[in-house]
Amino acid sequence: MTVTPVAVNGLTKFFYDESRGEVRAVDGIDFSCRPGEIFGLLGANGAGKTTTLRMLATILTPTSGAASIMGFDVSRRPEDVRRHLGFYSSTTALYPRLTGRETLDFFARINGYPPARIPDRVEALVDRFGFRDYAGVRVDKLSQGMKQKVSIARTVAHDPPVLIFDEPTVGLDVLNALDMQKVIGELRNEGKTVIFSTHIMSEAERLCDRIAIIHHGRIHACDTLDRLRASTGKHYLEDIFVHVVERAGERAWP
Amino acid sequence: MRPWRAVLILYRREVVSALRERTIVVNSILVPIFLYPFLLWAMFTGITFVQGQSEGLASRVAVAAWPDGHDGLAREFADEERVRLTDRVPAGADARIRDGDLDALVEFLPPATAGLEGNFRVRVTYDESKERSGIAKDRVTAAIDRYREAWLKREAETRAVAPARWEGFAIERRNVATGRDMGRFLLGLMLPLFFVVMVAIGCFYPAVDATAGERERGTWETLMSVAASRTSIVTAKYLYVATFGCLAGTLNLAAVTLTMRPVLAPLLERTGEQMEFSVPLAALPVMIAGTLLLAAFVAAGMMMFAAFARTFREGQSMITPFYLLILLPVMFLQTPGIQFSMPLAFVPVVNVTMMVREAVTGAFHWPQIGVTIVVSLAVVAACVYAASLVLRFEDVVMGSYTGGLAGFLRERVLGRGRRPRGAEGGA
Repeated sequence: MTVTPVAVNGLTKFFYDESRGEVRAVDGIDFSCRPGEIFGLLGANGAGKTTTLRMLATILTPTSGAASIMGFDVSRRPEDVRRHLGFYSSTTALYPRLTGRETLDFFARINGYPPARIPDRVEALVDRFGFRDYAGVRVDKLSQGMKQKVSIARTVAHDPPVLIFDEPTVGLDVLNALDMQKVIGELRNEGKTVIFSTHIMSEAERLCDRIAIIHHGRIHACDTLDRLRASTGKHYLEDIFVHVVERAGERAWP
Repeated sequence: MRPWRAVLILYRREVVSALRERTIVVNSILVPIFLYPFLLWAMFTGITFVQGQSEGLASRVAVAAWPDGHDGLAREFADEERVRLTDRVPAGADARIRDGDLDALVEFLPPATAGLEGNFRVRVTYDESKERSGIAKDRVTAAIDRYREAWLKREAETRAVAPARWEGFAIERRNVATGRDMGRFLLGLMLPLFFVVMVAIGCFYPAVDATAGERERGTWETLMSVAASRTSIVTAKYLYVATFGCLAGTLNLAAVTLTMRPVLAPLLERTGEQMEFSVPLAALPVMIAGTLLLAAFVAAGMMMFAAFARTFREGQSMITPFYLLILLPVMFLQTPGIQFSMPLAFVPVVNVTMMVREAVTGAFHWPQIGVTIVVSLAVVAACVYAASLVLRFEDVVMGSYTGGLAGFLRERVLGRGRRPRGAEGGA
């Protein structure tokens, strides 16, 4: 039986905020992802993308609902979930006092990659991401582009079947952002399941096999780009997004 | 993966990173080795220098009028090279002594009661608040004492009285403490304070680094996404902080013990004291246990306070009150005559410090040591449990909680304040 890489059912997260009181950051969302697919979470800032992905990465505990990664429930088996998951975001920095090579070794080891194969894995990643000349240099001495390469390499160091990229191109220049998109595409081609969150329409258009539009903690549309075009009658993703969000607003405020 | 293996991997990462951080290496390794030996050396060198300078200065002494029939007294003064007599008694001598223009005034007065013929009283006027004036008083007194002894001897001889018949009580001092005892006494006096300060400093920066440092660098979320349990992560961080506290305490104890003799040598030579600075072998296990217990307690306490900090600066200010709190009891230990009693064995920090202090001097109060170990372990367990309770709150873990430990206890434990119990702030 094939395991669904990512399955989300009625996932909900409430927060308490000083000024707003109880906030429903994520409000009963459902979706699932297939192997070798890039699933895009498209939403404005504060839509609930990061909270959703943090719950999938077991960094936050859901208030209610369920989610699983490779069949492991995020609430009951968080360590197993994390072993099968690579999590990358603009807020997951690297340890500045470790070298690139030490970083990969640490993340492969702590995420349960077979110890005997770690040295070979590290060298393979160093070559793949092209930082052999800098592999022995401390991370805090690396350029932004180099850090990004090491950061992606550490995300896949333990060869997880599911990868989460939460707004990975935030703060990157155009060339580095394109590099990032290229790597994500390659990972999909290797059979990885990738969840990719962004608020940049062109990225989602270019990369995602399916796109979920999330607004105010709820998913209002989830399909391939072609079907979204067909269902909304709009061609560009930006127009589709606006259409879906406005319709969601009408539903919320009749 | 087995939990201990995850702890080991995380702990190794923490230690490797810490050993590359200048602030931590300086405060947890170099300062414990060099600070107190250097301070002791600087202090005693300073004392020796000031004493040398003071003794090299000539004392300016005015003599009102030499007593009749005591020509030898003037010669005694003249032979004292470090006393410079003024030609005459200056007007307003008291004021001049207070102003530091004159060091002492010597006046010879008639005896208060009838005695030997030619007897007299001496009044030495000086200013005790001025070191130079005090030294002048000592020199004048010593010269007069020497003259008196010789004069009494001569008077006795003219009266055909053997000195043994008129000499008063003789005081003979005999110190039963050996040089080793004296050395251990001095070590016992100084080591506990250094020890607690150093263990605390050793834990301070690693505690901030392991908590607020992670958040400030943005590595906290990275760490939360690794396949290790929260317990393993907290355990590894705790062990890392305790290790550096232990390291600092051990290095400091060794450095002070080993450098005490060479540092104090110039001073001891001057006083003629024989001291041997060694720690009894039997004390080593007790000292090691003390270091482990104190570091375990301080690490747990500091991590609990620092758990709320989001920046390095915030971490430092949150830990500082705890740091000062653990130093207070050590000040109390400087009270003379304080003993390692059973009630003291129940007081955290004080008990471990007393245990180490007694061990250094070669005294082992086993019942108190037993109570100290049990009490310390209980306190450490309570602190670790409290820290694990704090870290169950998601907003504290994610660094979105905006208060400190006191506010947290008020809101979440006592249920007072603005947030409903169990509600978590936004991440």
